[in-house]
Amino acid sequence: MIHAVKHHPAQELLEQYIEASLAPELSLAIAAHLDLCPHCQRVKMDLEAEAGAALVNLAEEPATATEWQQMLDFITAQPELAVSMEKRQPFALQIQNSEILLPASLKPLLQNKLKWLNLGGISTAKLAGEDQHNVSLLYIRKDSEVPQHTHLGLEITLVLKGKIYDEAGCYGEGDLLINTPDHTHTPRTMSEDCLCLSVLTAPLKFKKGLTRLLNPLQHLFY
Amino acid sequence: MLDSTSVQRHDGSTYQRPGIQGSMSVQPQDNAQWEQALTFIAVDRDKRAYSQLFSYFAPRLKAFGLKMFGNEQQAMEMVQDTMLNVWQKARLFDASRGCASTWIFTIARNVRFDMLRKKQSRKDELSADDLFFDGDYPEQEGVDSNEWDLWLLAEKVAPHFAKLPPAQRDVMEKVYLEEKSHQEVSEELAIPLGTVKSRIRLALDRLREAIDDPRS
Repeated sequence: MIHAVKHHPAQELLEQYIEASLAPELSLAIAAHLDLCPHCQRVKMDLEAEAGAALVNLAEEPATATEWQQMLDFITAQPELAVSMEKRQPFALQIQNSEILLPASLKPLLQNKLKWLNLGGISTAKLAGEDQHNVSLLYIRKDSEVPQHTHLGLEITLVLKGKIYDEAGCYGEGDLLINTPDHTHTPRTMSEDCLCLSVLTAPLKFKKGLTRLLNPLQHLFY
Repeated sequence: MLDSTSVQRHDGSTYQRPGIQGSMSVQPQDNAQWEQALTFIAVDRDKRAYSQLFSYFAPRLKAFGLKMFGNEQQAMEMVQDTMLNVWQKARLFDASRGCASTWIFTIARNVRFDMLRKKQSRKDELSADDLFFDGDYPEQEGVDSNEWDLWLLAEKVAPHFAKLPPAQRDVMEKVYLEEKSHQEVSEELAIPLGTVKSRIRLALDRLREAIDDPRS
């Protein structure tokens, strides 16, 4: 049985994602989660429909007749583009001696050879990012423990393959773990290796506080 | 040339809005007509249909752009890029996947993302088209969450369901137990679609709070 995704981003996180208000690295983690989670795909479409309706309800912002006309003339003078709707497909990548299927969102970041840094049972390879935002792959061999660590911002982990456990439970393919600076836990693997996407990002501002970043129940209702 | 055109709004009142003379004598007012306009643009490069769409959406996109960027120049750049995409990629619009307004919103969102990215001169591979995928996801086979759903429903949710306000409970029962679409519930209860959605959201918030509450 394929693991049913149980740990989803809270709606507020998805709302910020669909309007591109999240840090791009964080959006990447959400996009990769969406690749693996049909429930959140539906929520995303609903939220975008709402945002579209809100756009239509905005009061018009005027510009001069000449400005609009010039823009219109410029646009309609441009040729049609040859475009076609792509289909999102997972892709296979050789990681630590096994071939692993990965979400399509990650493909652009995995064009170059990965440089793994090995620390005991854990290997990491940086994919992108600078300053406070950092995207990397995390490969945790079976029966390993991730050392306790702290960070200034949020740490978001998306399980891509295998399972990881912490005090709160078990996380499988597609599940998101979100850790805030004031919340420590010790994730570990058991009988199988685990591949994760890890995003470190600056703290976010949320209306309802950080406890709501994850919503394990969301999938029930959409 | 702009003139002022009186337009019937959904609530029945009228308001004045600028239109482009000549081509603006017909005022499409709902999504079905925007969808039709997009089809005409895709099939015939129909400039008349396009200018109607433009005069409706461009000033609203400008308002959206001002809200997001806080300055006129970037707002107008976003309007132009967005409306250019609408003109050049109308073939990508698929009415079975969502409304015209939804599609145009997603284009504006992507344009805005790429503008911000360019401004920060970040030359990595994170582009809006990849991050905000707009096509079909592959079917996921073998996803079976029934067991978990049933456990969760029985153990956690059911006791709180009965405590929801009746209006919210009605909507929730129809959507989650009778598996009706939001639209069907809206029609059946004769309440607007937005009300259905907001009741669901309020009810979910309540359930979530109830379940999160350690005393429960």
